[in-house]
Amino acid sequence: MSKKHEKSGYTWINPLAAWGTAVGNAAAPSVEVPDIREDWDKATGYKVKTHKVGRLKHYIIWPNHGEKLWSRWRWWPTRRNLLHVTGIYNRKTAIAETKILDRRPLYWLICLAFLAIAPMLFPDNMQNTLLTAGTIFGIFAAINVCWTLIIGTASIFSLASYAVVGTAAFLTSWLSVTYGVPWYVLPVIGAVIGLVFGVAIALPALRLDGFYYALLTLGLNELCRVFFTTSREFGSASGGLYGADSFISESWDPMVQSHVGYYSAFLLLLMSLSLFRLINGKRLGRILRMAPEKREAFAAACGVDYKRARIMIFLITSVALGFIGGFYAAQYRGVAFSIFSFDTVLLGLAMLAIGGIGKAEGAVLGTLVVIFLDKVLLDWGPMRHFMIGALMLAAVLFLNNGYFGIKKQFNAWREKKRGEWRSARTEKGGEALPEEATEVDDKDQLYLRRFDKIQRDYLKTLITPEIIEEHRRQPLGQHSEALERVLLYFRRARMEDKYALHRAGPEGPYKIIAFSGTRGVSPRLVDDREFATVDEGYHGVFMRRVHDLMES
Amino acid sequence: MDVFFVLTNAITVACIYGLIAVAVSITWSSLGLINLAYGFVFTFAGYGAWLVSQHVGEHPLIIAAAGIAMGALAGVLVCLVVFIPLHDKPNFTTRGMIATLAISLIGSQSFLMFFGPRPKSLPDLFGFWSVDLFGVTLTSDKIGIVVCSALMLFLVVRWMKGSRRGLEIRAMMMNPHAASIVGIGIRSTGIYVMAVTGAMAGLASVLLSQTYYIAPFNGLTPLIKGVSIALCGGLGSVQGAVIAAILLGLVEALTNEFLGGQYVLMTQFLFIIAVLVVRPRGISGLLDKAREQ
Repeated sequence: MSKKHEKSGYTWINPLAAWGTAVGNAAAPSVEVPDIREDWDKATGYKVKTHKVGRLKHYIIWPNHGEKLWSRWRWWPTRRNLLHVTGIYNRKTAIAETKILDRRPLYWLICLAFLAIAPMLFPDNMQNTLLTAGTIFGIFAAINVCWTLIIGTASIFSLASYAVVGTAAFLTSWLSVTYGVPWYVLPVIGAVIGLVFGVAIALPALRLDGFYYALLTLGLNELCRVFFTTSREFGSASGGLYGADSFISESWDPMVQSHVGYYSAFLLLLMSLSLFRLINGKRLGRILRMAPEKREAFAAACGVDYKRARIMIFLITSVALGFIGGFYAAQYRGVAFSIFSFDTVLLGLAMLAIGGIGKAEGAVLGTLVVIFLDKVLLDWGPMRHFMIGALMLAAVLFLNNGYFGIKKQFNAWREKKRGEWRSARTEKGGEALPEEATEVDDKDQLYLRRFDKIQRDYLKTLITPEIIEEHRRQPLGQHSEALERVLLYFRRARMEDKYALHRAGPEGPYKIIAFSGTRGVSPRLVDDREFATVDEGYHGVFMRRVHDLMES
Repeated sequence: MDVFFVLTNAITVACIYGLIAVAVSITWSSLGLINLAYGFVFTFAGYGAWLVSQHVGEHPLIIAAAGIAMGALAGVLVCLVVFIPLHDKPNFTTRGMIATLAISLIGSQSFLMFFGPRPKSLPDLFGFWSVDLFGVTLTSDKIGIVVCSALMLFLVVRWMKGSRRGLEIRAMMMNPHAASIVGIGIRSTGIYVMAVTGAMAGLASVLLSQTYYIAPFNGLTPLIKGVSIALCGGLGSVQGAVIAAILLGLVEALTNEFLGGQYVLMTQFLFIIAVLVVRPRGISGLLDKAREQ
């Protein structure tokens, strides 16, 4: 039965025998009881290697007042909250607390404020480079935010965004150069051109799906490049078309010009971000969140007209891109052919891929990284684009959705690992599984079950033929320590299904019954075995309990 | 300019771009990967062949073999970097496409760093001779290009139809999931596919270098043309790609003849858009839902 039994040979002497009060068991062969503390330490010791990985969500929690639980900042005439805040009572201390559930608006505010004051923080020797780069960053980030609307929200994988911007910029510059159109009209004309272009390329989008469309738009981009570079009207010789009217006067101080350029680009970025918010966060965006790729049929069955919504977004965004194109022409007095080059599309895609496709913050961060590498670290030469390519490749290979997808991906990975570790260390028995443990409200139950399992494991080592024989000889009275421990455990069992003896007649026989545990519900007969005397009955109950213990 | 001269030109170029189109097509249909790194494979093979011609020998067979081998090597490289780590990850198609674009960005910049911006030229493979056929003068390089690319295409199609590996690739085209269940290794098949298609792009590179130079950014045009042809013919169909290559070659020749050279891309794209609007999956593309990934 157990190893302890083999090395036994131990005889228990009844201490009561010295007074002559022991009845029938002055000495009995038994087993030595091992020190329970060793078993306890072994059972409660934590054998699994643990890692210091945070597991709580670190919300910043502020004190609150019970009266103010529901008072919030709101956008003035509406009831909309400024921040997604929840007021709660701490479960342990019952103190009122408030916590911000969605902190992204705060981060946006901080980052945009930083961008607004950034020109004051630039070092003097880099001022010019950084302002130029900042201007390009603003414009490209605006383009990429619009592009994110197309690729992410509308899930139309179009690579022709720069072609729309470039076409609008070229046509408006040409109008301005040829007919002297003033600068403030250029973005408006650009928007109209964008709309026309958008309608033209939205037609195939209705028919083609996914990657056919991507490849087609890639070709369209190349088509625009070849068309504009080879046509004489658009200055094929000079590498671009320049001479358009601009809101930046050339008579100003160069520094002032750079600052005006920077802040106008910043304003453009703010405009495109609010467009993103208006589309993605409102009806159109919500409709399309209902109809992600490959589940369009389901959405359509629910009454969502996703095609219409996609085309709407596509057209609105094309207008915005055309506006940006006109703005670009007005800002730089013209436009270069490089806007159509394959490298521009590649860099744009790198910006989206690094930050994470489908998120405005991803588009802005990716643009920041790529523009910094491309326009600030000019000394690195071809190495810059190599670095951008490597970053893009790494982002795509290792991250599911760019930088801003890391958190979700990491959480999913950690959940997976946690499940693996948990299943590796879970033992069968009365112990609660961790998943179950979080469900049980009374944590005492968990400790009880754990303790019970340890105790049962320990008692199993004491069950030997010797103590069974000892019990058979004398069920009641003083017993050896091993048997006494086992019996104490048995006697402490819960009333539910606890065994008892039922005397069938005035002198026996006895039968084993089990209590129901519920008042008023009669006990059930366990089996038909009959015991002639009460001592045999006691031993029968004991054997049944031993059996149950060894089975558990 | 004579119609037949333009036509033979168009056919020659269509043969080369057709090779890349077939490569793009096979890769997409069997692996589900939109491989936009064929520009990189193309340039890699070109520079490899150039290095061999500089250091080993100028025999045409050596150069052609070097181009094919280098193309296959570059294809396997792309497979190891992109397909094998990504093929079982979420958003595989988008991420695969972006990753191959990243490789082409990295590739062209590294070629620029290693070989400099000056273009390189390969020695003539087919000598200088010409045949007069029904009053049309066919020069040696045109005949050589057409014969070589047709031979390569024939061999690849034979291999795909006749061999065990070809059977595996065709099984992957039909249903990658079922193919993996019956014991076809997705990764090993990926390596074969990429090696074979890379070899095709390598040959195209060597053949095209008879007309153009090898430069860091020269892979782009063949890629765009190849992708357009594959798109027009229907991704996943070899005969579609061949038909599309011939049709687009015709369009190019006719535009050159009647409108002028600068409109070639426009008419070609209008043609492609027209084809795609009528048949959204190309001339003989796989039916809807045939390949879901």
